[in-house]
Amino acid sequence: MKTIKSLVIVITLFLLTGFNVLAQDGNSILTKMDDVMYSAKDVSGKTEIVLIDKNGKQKTREANVIQKGNDKRIFRFTAPSSQAGISVLSLPNDVMYLYMPAFGKERRISSSVKNTNFAGTDFSYDDMESIPYSEKYTPTLINTEEDVFILELKPKSPKSAYSKLIVKVHKTIYHPTYMGYYDRGNKKIKEANYKFIQIGKYWNAEEIEMTDLKKNHKTIMLMSDVIYDAGLSDDEFTVRKLKQ
Amino acid sequence: MDKLAKTTVKFKWLIIFVVIGVTAFLGYQLKDLKIDVDVISSLPDDDPAALLFKEIGTEFGGNDMGMIIIETEDVFNNEVIEHIKLITDELRVMDGIFSVTSLTNVLDIKGSEWGIEIGTLVDEYELPETDSALAVLKARVMSKDMYNGTIVSEDGTSTLILFTLLDGDDKQAIAKNIKETIVALDLPEKLYFGGLSFVANDVADLIVLDMTRLLPITFFLITLILFLAFRSFSGVVLPMLTAALSVIWVLGIMVLLGYELSMISNITPIILLAIGSAYTIHVVNRINTTPGGHGHENSLVEAVTYITVPVLLAGITTMIGFVAFVFGSYLNIIRDFGIFTALGVFFAVILSLFFVPAVVSVFSMYASREKTKTDISEKQTIISKFILIPLKNLLIKHPKYTLYTWGLLMLTGIGCLFLVEREVNMTEYFKSDNPTRVTEDIMQEKYGGSSPIFVVFQGDIQSPDVLKMMLKTETHMKAFSAIKRTQSVAGLVEEMNDVMGEGKRIPDERAKIEQLWFLLDGQEIMPQLVSDDLDKAIIQSSFGATESNVVIEFVAYMDAFVADNSTEECKIEVTGLPTVYHQLDKSLLDSQISSLVIAIIMVLLIVGSILRSPMKGVFATMPIIATIIILFGFMGVTGIPLDIATVLVASIALGIGIDYSIHVITHFNHVHKKTKSLHKAMEETIIISGRAIVINVLSVAAGFLVLIFSQLVPLQNFGILIALSMVGSGFGALTLLPVLLILYYRKKEQVV
Repeated sequence: MKTIKSLVIVITLFLLTGFNVLAQDGNSILTKMDDVMYSAKDVSGKTEIVLIDKNGKQKTREANVIQKGNDKRIFRFTAPSSQAGISVLSLPNDVMYLYMPAFGKERRISSSVKNTNFAGTDFSYDDMESIPYSEKYTPTLINTEEDVFILELKPKSPKSAYSKLIVKVHKTIYHPTYMGYYDRGNKKIKEANYKFIQIGKYWNAEEIEMTDLKKNHKTIMLMSDVIYDAGLSDDEFTVRKLKQ
Repeated sequence: MDKLAKTTVKFKWLIIFVVIGVTAFLGYQLKDLKIDVDVISSLPDDDPAALLFKEIGTEFGGNDMGMIIIETEDVFNNEVIEHIKLITDELRVMDGIFSVTSLTNVLDIKGSEWGIEIGTLVDEYELPETDSALAVLKARVMSKDMYNGTIVSEDGTSTLILFTLLDGDDKQAIAKNIKETIVALDLPEKLYFGGLSFVANDVADLIVLDMTRLLPITFFLITLILFLAFRSFSGVVLPMLTAALSVIWVLGIMVLLGYELSMISNITPIILLAIGSAYTIHVVNRINTTPGGHGHENSLVEAVTYITVPVLLAGITTMIGFVAFVFGSYLNIIRDFGIFTALGVFFAVILSLFFVPAVVSVFSMYASREKTKTDISEKQTIISKFILIPLKNLLIKHPKYTLYTWGLLMLTGIGCLFLVEREVNMTEYFKSDNPTRVTEDIMQEKYGGSSPIFVVFQGDIQSPDVLKMMLKTETHMKAFSAIKRTQSVAGLVEEMNDVMGEGKRIPDERAKIEQLWFLLDGQEIMPQLVSDDLDKAIIQSSFGATESNVVIEFVAYMDAFVADNSTEECKIEVTGLPTVYHQLDKSLLDSQISSLVIAIIMVLLIVGSILRSPMKGVFATMPIIATIIILFGFMGVTGIPLDIATVLVASIALGIGIDYSIHVITHFNHVHKKTKSLHKAMEETIIISGRAIVINVLSVAAGFLVLIFSQLVPLQNFGILIALSMVGSGFGALTLLPVLLILYYRKKEQVV
């Protein structure tokens, strides 16, 4: 009897420590992923947004993007011509300013609704945020494949639109290659595929393909002309600058 | 004909095996029989209003809306709001649902001096619990048109949860799943489910209920009547067998050709059971009453040889009654019903003429010697003793009085003809306690109705002129009492312009509109309002009245507006369920008249040419024409409206009722030729054919009266009316027609 008891204890301890090892692994992998994605002080570049509907019809938008840190960003649309000049400034605490040249003025938009999509894309405002994943999610390493770790991310906030994310993280570079988004019914509703290239000391997501599985609608975001750490000042991210 | 009957007897085994084989094959197909109750897809493509409605419904997804109404004492109660959230969350993660809008997740956009605040009306993570928080919410909801009367009823006792279904999935199955899941939550509030998918699901359930409940009753009733009448195995089994076989065959062929049972064609089995048995009744009756002096085989051949012409004729005229719908019907489901029921009749006729004699011959199912009375005067059945013999005496003694009585009945019928009403509103088809009907009534009363109206604009949708025209149209629409709310992209642009601080109006510059579009692009509502190419947009609204005259008034009201405002640059068209109903209403009368006229002419031609006497053709149709006039008079007096089911009655009555006349007239001809005696011919006709007719009238009428227990109101009325016309035309064939023949021959004899 005693032997059985001690065996149970041993097994339990083994399992607990085993899980612990996996959990720690998950945390460190996610932190490394965040480092790869968000370690630059600032970044600027051109982005091309291709929207593809379920019939394969494409619409393209182009914008110049500048970003400083995790929470200051300006999207300045350059194409199509009807939307050229429209700019969106995102500031901390969910504050955004929208500038429309045809009206010649900006409006402040504060939105607590994060699960609506950004400007007709399949990315929600939530997805567009540059807040590190380790701040928003608790990871568990659930599997490893040939060249990726597979993490399950559970949201820390009960307000998240997702019940979990399944993320594949590259084993050596630690950038994500894939993310699956699950709704509260635990059904996969969106998925994103990433392609990364190295620019200087950083890895840049030159292509993100986001598919809305319900709508059968796709958004491809392509980055080019990327410059890291150009020393952008906070003055670049003001309402006055937005209008220029 | 003689040869045909002999061949049948010769190849009896082959015939039996072929019938068994075909039945096994087609019967096996029934496993794939499906019910399709989508009335929208049945609308004809050659009617512009209906076509536009179908196109718009598909293109902008308006046909895929669903709603749940939550009814309680006061919506603004923390428990109720919790339940709304529960249902909303449940729906959001369900398969086949694209989006959900409810009190607990609807967007709330507040504009201010400095900008806008986008949030939800209720914070779904911190639901309002205190009385003051609930009061604030109530004040906000009641102050905005966007919510008041749209999400929450004006009296605050009910709220709507709206959802859209994903394209391409099996919507009926989704609707069923939604209903089951939400009902399983077992909430204390009253829940109602609405939207086309739920209606379709409901109707499909009702049809299955009808089929499984009514069909066996019909079968039992007809069997009972046949047994009481014939008191013989063959007299009961053979008619029911041929009727059942024709039902199996025709349903099997429907499956093979990829057709599904509709709201109308679900009555095909009942119709075939009732009338498909008639042909065999006449064949068996004839076999049993033909003297068997020269051996069974010979008398069988003799009987079949005689009965082939009247049965064929009866079958063809009945088929004409059904085929007539192909030319006159507005709804495709009525056309398909006509074709397949006619096919079923064809099978019943073929089976009665080939399969029945083969079976009789193989199994020696002849009536016993004692029953085969050769002298008709000795034949003392209840029917002949109490009905037919007194009838015969009356007719021969007082032909003119009989004629006058019919004349009086017809005049009364014509007088009441103009009282007949028409009903095309689908909700009226459900009994008043049916859930679909109840939901519709609530929608009508509290949310401005649920039957969709679309105004379609074609042109450059981003042009200020087109958008302004859309707003003008919305204002015009809302001035009509039955329109409570409208929604369009113009309204959204106006709203966004306000957000930009330029007031609630459409900007004059196109560039501004294009930039406002940036805010709207990708919103879930946009594909429901504007086409992808920005060349088409719609105003969505719903109609809050069911009365046909209000619909007609609205159609005229909108037509006048369209005539004044539609231009090349901005083409305006109106469609919607009410306009389609209006069209349906007009077409009901047209198709009734045209299918009836076609059927009467065809019957006149065929009967006249086969009997080689145009006069007798006219005689044969008289009882049924009289019956149809009385039928419409009856509808006028009782208030039974002309609807998608009752519109079928007159033509079906013509097709089935004419059979009685054909049997009477051919029998009379046959005997009159042999005996040259008017009285003898009439006596034998009324007593032998009369018996088969009375049995047939009773069994068909009983079969159709079962429809009184149907869950669908039009089918109930349909059953009553067909039963009435069977009694009328049977009675007509045994009174009016003999009297016409008696008077005609007496005059002829006098002339001679």
